[in-house]
Amino acid sequence: MMEEKKSVLEQVAESLVIYNAALSAVGGEETRGIGWLMNLLNTYFAEAGEAQAKGRPLAWINFAVPSEIFWAMDMVPVVVEVVNGLVAPFGPKALEYIDMAEKSIPNYICSSCKVLMGAMLSGDITAPDVLVVPSQPCDSNLAMYSVASKRFDFPYFCIDMPYLRSEQGTEYIAGELKKMVKFLEEKTNRKLDLDKLKQTMEYSNLAHEYYLKLDKLREAVPCPYSSLEILAEYPAILCMAGRPELVDYLKKRYEMTKAKVAKGESGLSSSTEKYRLVWIYGAPAFDLFTFSWLEQEHGAVSVNSMMNNFTMQPVEDISDYDKIMMGLAEKLKLMPMTRECGGPWEQFIDATIELCRRTKADAALFGGHVACKSNWAIMKLVKDKIREELGIPTLILELDVFDPRVTSSDALRAKFDDFFATVLRK
Amino acid sequence: MSTLEELTALSTNPVNPAINEWKAEGKKVVGFLCTYMPEEILYAADMLPIRLRAPNCTETTLADVHMSHLTCTFMRSCLQDVLEDKFTFLDGLVFTNSCDLVRRLYDNLREIRPSDFHFLHFITVPHKASEELVIWYKGELNAFAESIERAFSVKVTEAKLRQAIDVYNETRHLLRELYELRKSDSPPISGAETLSVILAGNSLPKDMYNHMLRKLLDELRQRKGISKYRARLMIAGSGGCDSPDYLGVMEELGGLVVTDSLCFGSRYFWEPVDTKGDLMLNLARSYLKRPSCPRMVDNVGERGEFVKQMVGDFKVDGVVFQRIKYCDLWGGQLLYTKKDLKESGIPLLSLEREYVMRDVGQLRTRVQAFLEKIER
Repeated sequence: MMEEKKSVLEQVAESLVIYNAALSAVGGEETRGIGWLMNLLNTYFAEAGEAQAKGRPLAWINFAVPSEIFWAMDMVPVVVEVVNGLVAPFGPKALEYIDMAEKSIPNYICSSCKVLMGAMLSGDITAPDVLVVPSQPCDSNLAMYSVASKRFDFPYFCIDMPYLRSEQGTEYIAGELKKMVKFLEEKTNRKLDLDKLKQTMEYSNLAHEYYLKLDKLREAVPCPYSSLEILAEYPAILCMAGRPELVDYLKKRYEMTKAKVAKGESGLSSSTEKYRLVWIYGAPAFDLFTFSWLEQEHGAVSVNSMMNNFTMQPVEDISDYDKIMMGLAEKLKLMPMTRECGGPWEQFIDATIELCRRTKADAALFGGHVACKSNWAIMKLVKDKIREELGIPTLILELDVFDPRVTSSDALRAKFDDFFATVLRK
Repeated sequence: MSTLEELTALSTNPVNPAINEWKAEGKKVVGFLCTYMPEEILYAADMLPIRLRAPNCTETTLADVHMSHLTCTFMRSCLQDVLEDKFTFLDGLVFTNSCDLVRRLYDNLREIRPSDFHFLHFITVPHKASEELVIWYKGELNAFAESIERAFSVKVTEAKLRQAIDVYNETRHLLRELYELRKSDSPPISGAETLSVILAGNSLPKDMYNHMLRKLLDELRQRKGISKYRARLMIAGSGGCDSPDYLGVMEELGGLVVTDSLCFGSRYFWEPVDTKGDLMLNLARSYLKRPSCPRMVDNVGERGEFVKQMVGDFKVDGVVFQRIKYCDLWGGQLLYTKKDLKESGIPLLSLEREYVMRDVGQLRTRVQAFLEKIER
């Protein structure tokens, strides 16, 4: 019997159902927050799946691009890395896409790009109306999307970013964002309405204020969030910045988490927090239950990660277009991973040390995505500096974030077992 | 010794007698990693710019400790040579955000060898060539010139910059003339020899190099052409293709490399710099708008057109697209190039390689099969 062909977005919707069921099986009341989050993401991906059929332009963006402008133009922005991350853990399709892509591009290209390329080559994902990516954080990102847009024939815009950070650089990026708006208007036949943009920015700012408060609460010992709850929030923060639904979710989460911290409650249901870990780079997205396993087996909570480290402040001045663009340019510079990986190594280590310090990390985990040359090329500098500044060890894991064939879950767990038995004994 | 032999000998080692003489005169030598750095600015400051290479590096054990094994061997080899003190003659190094590994080499050197180089500078090069970004790049180049002036107590004047551009334009013109000779049915120079000639120029004062190029062109016009070959080849792809031996393997098997799209080849010199008006702006525009590498994101199609133009002009039978392992920029370009050349009916051989030539047997097998498919 021929397997029914499913589009990538249909696969993501199915993944979320499985994910929700698995998380609900972990515990009781404390998974209520996850239930809210899953509902939010379900709504969002349903919207994304229907967008083009309903005449709404679908924009693929990468994880550094602020989504607010797209929502303000009544487009649906889809962060491609989020889609890849939700296809990867469930079923064999991500691996099929990777294999398909490797017939046309080298295997050392980032598997995030390979999942997407493979999905395109196999026809499981239709072309977007536009694709927008910045020039950072890496060459895979820079090379693949520009080429893919030409190969599959859809409009593409690159937000160029200067390498070194400065006030002048922020103006440069703001200029690029304005050009991006003109590009979007031309390609979608829509005009950006300033009032709608201001409204979107108000929601974005409100959401971000709650996020920063939540982030502060998560510094508490014990951590009031479980590992999966922290990691699972990332897609929503990225994709839905500017939507009122995100404000509602974060407000409820904040109230719930504040109450937990006041009572000294942990986010773990069936184990006790013994170690606090920070994922300072990648993590095994192909097996999200690694994080639950760490909690149950070793009492180790992943209290934060590079990808969740949204430290920027809300955009202070949204009174006019120029000020909003400058504010979004500032935000773009500080988006997780783009900040750490796209500039000089000081940006990586400064953000990482600050994150490990404020979350009282017992160890840093460098989930070294094998295709990420720029981070492997500074891994030793980072590891040595963390030890020097914080006195904590860094566990180096060589893996592919989306492909378990590089390093399997079992192999990773064996490394963790060794690490806890030898280096991080308590 | 013929001029070709002289230039070939100079290409085998980045450190040569001309550099020693230059230093003996008390003048400075500054290294750079990528051809998006306008050498003219250094030349205008009476410095010798030389492009970093590590052709004699045989292993990268020291570099691997710092930059890991999961990175491009070109940059690791350069780091290896730095750690083995082979670049102690350099007074400075200039970096650009050409690719992830060039910028990480900059980070590593600043931390592990902070005192090795008197001058380290980083230039942000835009990834697009719109007029606004050309102006931004001009600002970066002005800042670069000011940085050199402060570090070395020199002055980069308009007159000296014009003179430098004139010298470099002469180099570009002479190399274009050299390539014109390769269009013939019996080119007087092989691909391996041509690459040696270009590599020699990477570490010679350009006025001396221009003198040698003029002599070379005279000699080549008298030289008997190469008429026995199986197919005319074009080499395209990654930076770090600086090994004449690599081309030599193809040519031993009967291929004749008649042109290229390489940054150690045609892309380095294809377009002259305008000398009318604002010179720094002209440099910025010229370096951004010339035949590009995939770091320039809006030029995917233009890179394809450049290859096809070369194929037509040089009567190429097949394109060899080589890329260094872990080079994402050229690895990504392959997705478009494969389809583009197939639709244009141009045979393509895609090869992955390391910077240091290994697996010659495998290379020979692949090239042999390709030549059998396309030979005249």
